[in-house]
Amino acid sequence: MSGTDAGPPDVDLGRVWLGVAAQVWRREPGWAERAAGRLLRSPGLARALVTTPSLLLGWLIATPVVLVAGVLATLGTGTPYVPLLAPAVAAAGIAYAYGPGIDPAWELSRSMAVSDRMVLLVRAVAVFGLNAALGLAASAASGAAAALTFGWLVPMTAVCCLALAAATLARSANIGVAAGMSGWVITVLAGQAAAGRLTAVITDSSLILPYLAFAACCGAVAAYATRIPRGTS
Amino acid sequence: MNVELTDLTRRFGRTTAVSGVTLEVGPGVFGLLGPNGAGKTSLLRMMATVIPPTSGRLRLLGRDPGSYAPRREVRRRLGYLPQSLGYYPGFTVAEFVEYFALLKDMPPGRVPAAVAAAIERVGLGDRPRAKLRTLSGGMLRRAGIAQAIVNEPELLLLDEPTAGLDPEQRVAFRGLLRDFGQRATVIVSTHLVEDVGAACTQVALMEQGRIVFHGTPAELTARGEGSGAAGDAPLERGYSAVLAAARSVTAARA
Repeated sequence: MSGTDAGPPDVDLGRVWLGVAAQVWRREPGWAERAAGRLLRSPGLARALVTTPSLLLGWLIATPVVLVAGVLATLGTGTPYVPLLAPAVAAAGIAYAYGPGIDPAWELSRSMAVSDRMVLLVRAVAVFGLNAALGLAASAASGAAAALTFGWLVPMTAVCCLALAAATLARSANIGVAAGMSGWVITVLAGQAAAGRLTAVITDSSLILPYLAFAACCGAVAAYATRIPRGTS
Repeated sequence: MNVELTDLTRRFGRTTAVSGVTLEVGPGVFGLLGPNGAGKTSLLRMMATVIPPTSGRLRLLGRDPGSYAPRREVRRRLGYLPQSLGYYPGFTVAEFVEYFALLKDMPPGRVPAAVAAAIERVGLGDRPRAKLRTLSGGMLRRAGIAQAIVNEPELLLLDEPTAGLDPEQRVAFRGLLRDFGQRATVIVSTHLVEDVGAACTQVALMEQGRIVFHGTPAELTARGEGSGAAGDAPLERGYSAVLAAARSVTAARA
């Protein structure tokens, strides 16, 4: 812990050095952060967005790898694995977007002016959007019919909301992932048992409303779990 | 008063971490002493707006942080160093401090100069581009202090700030505390009595969630005189005497 050294009486060397250091040490935001900053109108929120654990390079590589494996399996076997995989991958990404144990400085972040709820919301939307885009690309590449290519987006919304609700309520990303994945597996297996097809839970349009209602309920749970405490008593 | 606590209580399930604390703290360096589990960290976390109180009234910098807008305003003027400082291993010191400067809503144009000043003040000016994963425990602690002071806070809350610092760094850190205490309210939670004696103008001692002493370090020292309490230094003897008296009252009530 050092103070700034005193210089000649007419020149404040400490001040000069700080000015130099500020320029030399300053970090230039990348294009994604600059774009997010303009969109969100908050440099802090943009910085929080680009540090999302499930948007870091390793995760960004792993997600397409899993989906490409799904494409290859689909092309090889004829079973549409991509629409079955994509919701689970997205749910894991959502659960790992923010929270204790996942974000190293979570405790500190909770004392910041940029609300942690807003950080969670922005990160969840970004992870969802990215996973939806990658899933759609993989789905299209696997040559699936239109109903299969787009049909999983609504179930994915429900599964992601379930993962988010579980992660925020239990304050554990792992529980969020477990809830999202097991919920999706149970749904798919139940669909197969009822209709005799693995893809029944994706292609059956009568399930859209129940999916959306379930997503809304899970969203409400996540909103409650991250609520801003009103009053101090 | 920058901090006004009235009958503040915080429970975690059946455990009462903080029990009916009433306290007013103005500018200066305020030491929060107590044994492990006394409730210091919970009290500090409430003041840092990380957790809400279960009951009681909390006012920080003249505002009620229970609602959104005042809380945001308080957080802009707050510096907080948690006991367990989480950090991003791939961040450099400068990136780490800058990240929290941005999250504190500092005007982006002011951030580079503020980051440089904070890093210099904690003595990490020779390692601004060192990755956090390469730093020692003491250096990480200093990086944590730098993020806490980057916005020139009016309320600075430090939980065990000297943990991991070597004696030379601790002496320098106390100077930094005194400097901040000239214009801000600095609350330091520690179990190191000598830090309090050297830097604090006021001190409170917590035991089992309650404040059992509030006064100056000299008054705490006076409590130990002739008490026969254990301790190598006068302040430690005062600390031990107050704790022993508080525990005997608790035992008598039980």
